[in-house]
Amino acid sequence: MSGYEIVFEDVSKFYGEVLGVNRVNLNVPPGITSLVGPNGSGKTTLMNLMCGLIHPDRGAISVRGLSPRDPEHMMRITGYATQFDAAPRWATGFDFVTTALLLFGYSRKEAERKAWKAIEQVNLTDAATRKVAGYSKGMRQRIRLAQAIAHDPQVLVLDEPLNGLDPLVRAETIALFRQFAAEGRHVILSSHVLQEVDVISDQVILIANGMIVAEGEIRGVRDEISEHPSQFIIRCRDASRIASLLFNEEHVTEVRLNDDRLGLLVLTRNREEFSRALSRIALAGHDIDGVIPADENVDALYEYLIGGAR
Amino acid sequence: MTTRFRARQAWTIATLEMRRAFFSKRAFWVYLLAFFPAFIFIGHGVSLQWQIKRFNARGKVAPAIIDSFKPGMTEREIIALAGNPQSDHEYTRRQREDDDEDESTGKRVIVEKTLHIRFLEYWDGNRRSYLRFENGVLKSARTRNPFDFQEDRSVYAGVFQLFYLRLAIFFGCLGIFMNLFRGEMLDKTLHFWFLAPARREVLLVGKYLAGLTASSVIFTSGALLSFFAVLWPHSGMEVQAFWQGPGVEHMLRYALAAALGCVGYGSVFLAAGLLLRNPIIPAAVLLVWEGINGFLPDILQKLSVLYYLQSLCPVPAPLESDTPALLKLILAPAAPASPWLAVPGLLVVTVLVLWAAAQAVKRLEINYSTE
Repeated sequence: MSGYEIVFEDVSKFYGEVLGVNRVNLNVPPGITSLVGPNGSGKTTLMNLMCGLIHPDRGAISVRGLSPRDPEHMMRITGYATQFDAAPRWATGFDFVTTALLLFGYSRKEAERKAWKAIEQVNLTDAATRKVAGYSKGMRQRIRLAQAIAHDPQVLVLDEPLNGLDPLVRAETIALFRQFAAEGRHVILSSHVLQEVDVISDQVILIANGMIVAEGEIRGVRDEISEHPSQFIIRCRDASRIASLLFNEEHVTEVRLNDDRLGLLVLTRNREEFSRALSRIALAGHDIDGVIPADENVDALYEYLIGGAR
Repeated sequence: MTTRFRARQAWTIATLEMRRAFFSKRAFWVYLLAFFPAFIFIGHGVSLQWQIKRFNARGKVAPAIIDSFKPGMTEREIIALAGNPQSDHEYTRRQREDDDEDESTGKRVIVEKTLHIRFLEYWDGNRRSYLRFENGVLKSARTRNPFDFQEDRSVYAGVFQLFYLRLAIFFGCLGIFMNLFRGEMLDKTLHFWFLAPARREVLLVGKYLAGLTASSVIFTSGALLSFFAVLWPHSGMEVQAFWQGPGVEHMLRYALAAALGCVGYGSVFLAAGLLLRNPIIPAAVLLVWEGINGFLPDILQKLSVLYYLQSLCPVPAPLESDTPALLKLILAPAAPASPWLAVPGLLVVTVLVLWAAAQAVKRLEINYSTE
C-alpha cells in the first residue's frame, strides 16, 4: 500500500443484514475526490470506514499508510467533518474548536492560536464567541469544517460540506479545498448535488447501492464506459441531411432530429470517429453551427451509470 | 506516544467530561439522591432542638419520677406524682366487642364498648416518657432519650448501608456512568471523541475518571454531610469524646466506602453502557445479584461490589426484630472480608470490569441511525 494514498482493499460492511458497502476497491490519490451517489448509497459509510468510526466486516483500509483502527496516529493526519453536530450546548464556536485541539496534546495557548486560525479560514471570526447552539445551518457547517482543519490535517474528509452554505461562502469554501489539494493533501467530500462536485473535483467516485460504479477523473470515468454511447447535440441548418449522413457511419447508434429541424442529437460509440465524420461533413459544405457534448457533465454520466438506483 | 502523554490525554478528556458529569440536566436527580438523607437528618435535628427548647420551657420532672411510672397506675396518680405533662392528647374510640342475636326479634345486636385513650408526655431534661392510658389506667410507658448517641450512629449505619450503598450510589452511578457513552450515542455526539487522536482505551479511562470524580464528590459529600448532620444535635462532650475516639476512623471509612462504591458500580455501569442499550436490564440484574449475594457460594460473593463495601462499614446496620426473615437474609451482609482484603479485592474486580469495557469500546461503532 502506498504511503500517500487512501486504499480500500476488497472492503465490505454490513449493518446486520443491510448492505453498507460491498467489495470496495479504491485507490484515492491526493487532490479533491468527490463521493457521489444518492442518499443511502454508501457515501457516509465509506467516510466512516476511512475514519475508523465503523470497522469493515471484510477487507482492509489504509489512509496514507495508517490503519483507521489506530486513531492515535491516524487522526493526527485526518480531519473529519461529519453531518452531526458534536458541540455541547454550552460551547461557543471557539470553545468547540479549542476543546478538540486540546485532545491533540497542544497547550491551551497553542490550541487557542490554532483555533483562531481555523476559524478565520472558514470566515467565522465574528460569530466565534457565540454559542454553537444559536448558529445557523451554514455556520454550523463552517464551525465543523474549522474543527476538521484546525490541526492542519493531510487528509480532510467532509460529509456534504457545501450543504446550507450561501453562494459567497460556498465559493470561499471551495477555494479552501483547492488550496488544501494544491498542497498535496487529500480532500474527500461527499455530495448528491452533482453540479457542485463537477466543477471542483479532481477525481470522482460514483457509488450506488453500496457498490462503486466508477472512479477516476470525470472524463476518464466517462471513457471507461466505452459501451455507453456518447451524446452530442449538433446545431445546424440542414439537420435532415446531416442526420442521414451520420446514420451511415458505423459508430453512430442513434440520431434524433429536433422538432425545429435546426438540430439533432447523435449517439456514438467512438468519439474520435465521430469527430472525423463531422469534419468530413463540414468539408463537404454542410453548415454546422455548433457541437455540444450532451453528457460530459456528471448529471448525464450519473444518470447513465446509476439510472434506476436514483 | 508515551504512557505519560496518554495519561495526560486521559486527564484532558476527564476534565472536559466533568462539566457534563457534574452539571448535565440528567445529573440533578443524582444530587437529590445524595443529599436527601442529609436534609432529613438536618430537619430532624432542627425539630429536636426546637422541641427540647419547648420542653425545657414547660418544666422538667425528676428522673426518679419517670422511672417510677408503672403500668396499672391511674391518670390521677401519675398527674399527682409528676404534675402537669408536656403534652396531653386524648380521644375516644368505640370498640366492637361481640355480635349477638335478640331471641325475641331475631335481629342482630352489636355490642360495643367505649375506650377512652389518653397520652401524656413527661420530660426530665434528657429523656421523654410517653404514657398511654386506656380508660384512665396506664397501659404502656415508653421512655427514650432523643439524643441517644449510640442509637443515632446505628441509625446512620443503617441509612448508609441500606440507602447509600444499596440505592443512592447504585442508581446514581447508573445515571452518571451509563450516560458517558450511551448518552453521547443518543445525543449523536460520541464521534467527537472517536475522531480525536486518542486510543479508545484512553478515552474510556478519561471518561471513567470524569464519572468517578463526579460521583465520588457528590456521594461522599452527601454521606459525610449526613454523618455530620447526625452528630450535630448531640452535646459537645459526647461529640468531642467521639472525635477523640473512633470518630475520625468512622468518618474516613464511610467516605472510603462511598468512594469505592462509585469505583465499583461505576465500572460495572460504564461497561454495561457499552454493551447494552437499555439501562434497566443491567440495573435489574445487578440489583438482584447484589441482593442475593449472601446466598451465593464464597467465590461468587467476591464478585459483588456490596460484599466489599459492607466490610468497610464501621458500624453494622441495625435490623429490627420484626424484620421478615427473608428480608433479613437479603439485608444482612455476607461473610465479611477483612478491610485489607476489601479494598484491593474491589479494585481487582474494577480492573477486570474496565478491561472488559475496553475490549467493548475498541469494537464500538458509531451508528446513530440504529439508536
